Amino acid sequence: MFFFTIRRIIASVFVLLASSFLVFALCAASFDPLARYYTLQPRPPESFFANLREELGLDDNFFVRYWNWLTGALTGDFGETVNGTPVAEQLGSRLLVTGRMILLAMVIAIVLAIIVGVIGAVRQYKASDYVLTFLVYLLIALPTFWFAALLKEFVAGGVNDLFGEQILYTIGEETPGLALYADGWELWSDRLGHLVLPTVSLALLAFAAWSRFQRSAMLDVLGSDYMRLARAKGLTYRRTVVRHGLRNALIPLTTVVALYVGTLFGGAIITEQVFVWHGMGEYLIQNGIGNNDINVVLGWLLVSAVFVVLFNLVADILYAVLDPRIRLS
Amino acid sequence: MVATETSTGPAVPGVPSSPEGGGVEREFTVKARSQRQQIVRRFLHDKVGMTGLAIFVLMLGFGFLGPVIQGVDYADQNVGAQSVPPGTADYLFGSDEIGRDLLAGLMQGVQRSLFIVLLFVVIALPIGLLVGALAGYFGRWVDSVLMRLVDLILTVPLLVVLIVVASNFPGSRTPLGVGIILGLFGWLDLARIVRSQFLSLREKEYVEAAHAMGASSRRIIFKHLIPNALGSLIVWTTLAAAVAIILEASLTYLGFGVNGANQTSLGRLVSDGVQAASTRPWLFYFPGLTLIIIVLSINLIGDGIRDAFDPSNRRVRA
Repeated sequence: MFFFTIRRIIASVFVLLASSFLVFALCAASFDPLARYYTLQPRPPESFFANLREELGLDDNFFVRYWNWLTGALTGDFGETVNGTPVAEQLGSRLLVTGRMILLAMVIAIVLAIIVGVIGAVRQYKASDYVLTFLVYLLIALPTFWFAALLKEFVAGGVNDLFGEQILYTIGEETPGLALYADGWELWSDRLGHLVLPTVSLALLAFAAWSRFQRSAMLDVLGSDYMRLARAKGLTYRRTVVRHGLRNALIPLTTVVALYVGTLFGGAIITEQVFVWHGMGEYLIQNGIGNNDINVVLGWLLVSAVFVVLFNLVADILYAVLDPRIRLS
Repeated sequence: MVATETSTGPAVPGVPSSPEGGGVEREFTVKARSQRQQIVRRFLHDKVGMTGLAIFVLMLGFGFLGPVIQGVDYADQNVGAQSVPPGTADYLFGSDEIGRDLLAGLMQGVQRSLFIVLLFVVIALPIGLLVGALAGYFGRWVDSVLMRLVDLILTVPLLVVLIVVASNFPGSRTPLGVGIILGLFGWLDLARIVRSQFLSLREKEYVEAAHAMGASSRRIIFKHLIPNALGSLIVWTTLAAAVAIILEASLTYLGFGVNGANQTSLGRLVSDGVQAASTRPWLFYFPGLTLIIIVLSINLIGDGIRDAFDPSNRRVRA
């Protein structure tokens, strides 16, 4: 197990290095940091561009530029945005916002997926299975932003009318400026009120697909010989399903969840957009691509890739822990 | 050659009767079916899949026959009929803020979205199939190189890849452009699926036999491996088609999809509708529901096809 882990970690580092190179090459080819000066009227003199190119090191060899960027990123320096603010700091605060949004949502989604998947498998082709299956298919067919808008429109309005005050917020991750003077319960309850709807939206949409995985994995397991053996030994049905069945049926879901959560750290892009959260997704779309800012896009891509690769690693290791055949082969 | 396929009665025409004179008595007869016939039969008996297919055919009719019957051009802006609520004779589904008929828009949107899906499949399917087939069949360094490349691209979420590419090609804000971009980057998971299928299929005896008889790699891939991987290919195609419709809507919502004057798609209508959710709710509900129905029907078809190819997951017939 130890060597298996070490081998996987080394492989991951190489994937990251290759990924960072690919990302840098693509961005260097498609972003021009000077683009926004070309359209200025009157057009700045050539010497202005020459100075900027000199300052930003754009005339250097491609590999030199890559090396400079990479060594900077590894020491926590992602360069500056087009407005002259450090990217690293912003990435940090954005990550916290995104993390807050996805953490609770993922926990809820996993628990729901397991429960609904197991119910669907154990009660296959009974009424409850059909109802759950239909609901899940409906959720899978929903575009994220449409569902989120539905929540904003009805759930938020309904709940707030019911209590006669604003409990659920539909915009932002906290009331702007509140953090400047409030703290403790006041601040956290405000954040909680902002958190509910994005969490519900993310959790329900993620859980839907996962529950199908869980259901078919559970069906496979329920039909296996060792389940029959466990029953033959005299174990109760409940005990065979939970201890012998579920443990094995969790293996496929583990991988799927780990891979998905890894991609989410790059931002639940659409959910953030609908609820106007200033997280990683918005950072990429508005500050990065919107401002044509190469350092923001590069920083985002690298951080996002780190999480994807990290969670790939987690998926591999968890898989090996849950299924010993993998690490022995 | 004697007819070999069916025997529905005790006496088989064309087969000489036995010397004893009496035909062979049979308790029951079994109609021989090819594997393909069995799969089609299983699908036709699958209620879920057939429901999906029926809905999908209805939507096809809605998108392609509807405009002919209705005879209204979505691009026509009627200044006198802006934001008409649904239910009036002229505007059954209402009209938008510049006086365009929503029903005509929905029909056109369905058309364009299905066009995008078609483009996506036509482009992504061959690429994914080729990459996966090469990696799975030849293994070794071909496999390593191709799959590491796929792994690398997948370190970036697909939606972001699409956004970055689309932002570099402002000309792609049409159904044509979105379909092409989706196709060019939507084959990565297919390549993985095909690869893993080929890895196991190439070890089969019939592949070895084909090899021994001197069949070329190309012949083995096209005549033996692809037909046996057909099930996963078709299932992938349906599920990916459903995802493509949602991806187009998402891209459009974020401003990197179908955009600009006289460009429609379901995603465009749904995205516009979200802005009008509280003021003109019909612009929010009808496009959203139309998209959900199409995606749902495609997913149901996919489910039916998967069961038809792999009946092991189904309830055993009592």
